[in-house]
Amino acid sequence: MDSQTTVPATSGAFSAGMRLPQTVRVSGLDHFFGEGELRKQALYNNNLDVRRGEIVIMTGPSGSGKTTLLTLIGTLRTVTAGSLQVLGHELCGAERDMIVCLRRELGFIFQAHNLFESLTAFQNVNMAAELAGLDRRVAAARIEALLTRLGLGQRIHYKPQSLSGGQKQRVAIARGLVHKPKLILADEPTAALDEQSGREVVTLFQELAREEGCTIIMVTHDNRILDVADRIVNMVDGHIKSDVAVRETSVICEFLKGFPLFADLTPNTLAEVADQMMVHEAEAGQELIRQGDPGDLFYLIRDGSVDVLVADGATSKKVAELGQGQYFGEAALITDEPRNATIRAREKSVFYALGKEDFRRVLETSATFEEELRQALFRRQ
Amino acid sequence: MTLSRNTPLAWKNLTHDRRRLAVAIAGIGFAVLLMFTQVGFQNALFDSQVKMIDDLQGEIFVVSRAKYTLAAEKRFPRARLHQVRSCSGVAGAYPLYSELTTSVLRKIKAGLGNRGYPLRSLGYHLGDPIFRDPRVAQQSQRLRAPGTALVDVKSKLKKFDFARQPPHELAHQALELAGKKISLVGNFELGTDFAHDGNLIMSDESFARYFPHRNRFADPLAVVDVGVVHVQPGFSVQQVQQRLVQTLEQDVHVYTRQEFRRAEVQFWDKSTPIGTIFLAGKLIGFVVGMVICYQVIYADIADHMPEFATLKAMGYSTGYFIRLIVVEALLLSLIGFLPGTVVSRVLYALLAEKTGLQMLMNLDSLTFVLLATMAMCIASGLLAVRKLLSADPASLF
Ligand SMILES: Nc1ncnc2c1ncn2[C@@H]1O[C@H](COP(=O)(O)OP(=O)(O)OP(=O)(O)O)[C@@H](O)[C@H]1O
Ligand SMILES: [Mg+2]
Repeated sequence: MDSQTTVPATSGAFSAGMRLPQTVRVSGLDHFFGEGELRKQALYNNNLDVRRGEIVIMTGPSGSGKTTLLTLIGTLRTVTAGSLQVLGHELCGAERDMIVCLRRELGFIFQAHNLFESLTAFQNVNMAAELAGLDRRVAAARIEALLTRLGLGQRIHYKPQSLSGGQKQRVAIARGLVHKPKLILADEPTAALDEQSGREVVTLFQELAREEGCTIIMVTHDNRILDVADRIVNMVDGHIKSDVAVRETSVICEFLKGFPLFADLTPNTLAEVADQMMVHEAEAGQELIRQGDPGDLFYLIRDGSVDVLVADGATSKKVAELGQGQYFGEAALITDEPRNATIRAREKSVFYALGKEDFRRVLETSATFEEELRQALFRRQ
Repeated sequence: MTLSRNTPLAWKNLTHDRRRLAVAIAGIGFAVLLMFTQVGFQNALFDSQVKMIDDLQGEIFVVSRAKYTLAAEKRFPRARLHQVRSCSGVAGAYPLYSELTTSVLRKIKAGLGNRGYPLRSLGYHLGDPIFRDPRVAQQSQRLRAPGTALVDVKSKLKKFDFARQPPHELAHQALELAGKKISLVGNFELGTDFAHDGNLIMSDESFARYFPHRNRFADPLAVVDVGVVHVQPGFSVQQVQQRLVQTLEQDVHVYTRQEFRRAEVQFWDKSTPIGTIFLAGKLIGFVVGMVICYQVIYADIADHMPEFATLKAMGYSTGYFIRLIVVEALLLSLIGFLPGTVVSRVLYALLAEKTGLQMLMNLDSLTFVLLATMAMCIASGLLAVRKLLSADPASLF
């Protein structure tokens, strides 16, 4: 009846309510260092999807393979086992020329600034602008704007020698961003920066992601900037241990909190509930719930809207219309009775659904269950 | 602010480190100097080989086809010169006689003759316009007396120490040429070369007396070493030469001054080790320059490996890096060439003063050294570029 998927709600695949194109697709990726006896595996069967406009933060203990994965995505290492697609190009077995072209769509920000001492800040940034074939007036304006934005307006024509470590790092960041890359790869970009300029940099990242649809993958241990992440990937010993769309999870939690029965759950519990939800999709006119059927799922409307129809004899009457952030299907789960209404999608919609067992388990943890139940049932009359 | 299309990275990197730049300029300048010295000496030596030709009058020269160098004693019949004179456009054709192996000049000391040394004896018909040195014509009256000659003041001092004496002292010198007494009545200036340690000039009559057997007991003056031809004003040298080639038998070469000179230089360059020795000298300069240039470029690359790796990660191609290094090498060669050339000029002047050799920096030698310097820098740049291409962007994270 409805198209149930095995995609967890917190994967972020439907974060804006639709399938975004994938910028990076990692599947079954292994990586080995060394040859023969010294051959050592650094990555084990990793899978990761990053979508357009996402900001991904990779964390994990030292030696867990974050940098290795980042350099593989950045075409700086050769992919030998598994599949890795970046901006639609398969990197496993890719041609050199294609890789050189692909690199021009990427923006790298390294831990070390690697600026040419012989060039001014402007010229260093211009090395990236030239490669993109930008008109030089456009490029000059953009470089100046970018450097000014990063607090280097007074030092555009200074050589690295007369810049501080943090200023040099900001020039390097400008160089990584000036050509409006589709994908930015950064390893500890804020490590050399003070809190304020680190914040300025991540704000800039967010703007690029929002306005240019730029995807950002960043390795960082800097807890101060975790809040910008759309997704946090945690690596341990060469495996992706968890991959959570934090932005989407918090959206779900926000929605769930609007459900009176869940209102006093702790954020942790809410996040666990979000983790247990799966994505459902429905076309316009499709029925998600039919009156009289046994109840099995609790639904949250991520995107779209539905009609609530109650059958009265032979005729059915529309009693309500529900939209984004609203929920339905809880009554049958609570009372163990058949569905008391039919729900039909008004348009192409996306839902996050929670199974009956999970739903009841959550309710049991809620202290004010009885009271909430009564109020809720009262309000839905 | 003006912004060039491409950031001049090669130039910026080269000029950023002033100390390294100074070392590079000094090193490449030194290589340039080495090469210029070799070229200069070579030219000077070749110039002295053809000094004799430069000192002759006339526009066209006739020599035996068998005469592969001035010092080769191959002659042609004097009759050819009669044929030459009958050609239109020829103002005159004059024989020059020359003798080397039997022309041994020896000092006589108190009845005991010491060992003599060979030198070149030149004979000409007095009054013929053959020698450019005006002193020869001025003193030709004295040569009328049989058994007299003029001596080259630049003859080798060790062997002919009397050559520089003033004429009145020269006359008292007891000397023997080819076993017959001779008196030196004056001097002129020509100079030595690899084959000739000294020179004498005498009348054709005296010449016939000293070297009676040079034509196998026939008239010694019936065979000529060099025919000096004057072209009438208004006639093209090339056309007259053409006509002579058509008129004369195949046993002679008819050269213009340029061709005569070139043939002689060619012989010394190609048929003797001289060319090879100088080539080796030039090669040493080249290799020294290459090593220095390689060091400079390699050090520059090695110091900027992370930066170049970053450029690679940004998507700069192999072609860009090769162009970058070739440009850097060319810049190096030019900024090393200029000071090297200036210093070489000063050295040329000093050497010319000390050795008496003609050290000239002509367009040919400038072009040669410039091209060699550029080749040397580009070659070492291409050797060093492998280091750059090994820059690994994966090492940056
Ligand atoms: N060039 C290399 N040759 C051999 N082994 C390597 C190389 N680079 C990394 N490794 C190994 O691969 C594993 C993953 O390293 P990686 O640098 O990706 O870790 P990381 O998560 O970035 O660590 P950190 O937080 O310290 O930067 C480590 O065990 C490391 O020793
Ligand atoms: Mg790392």
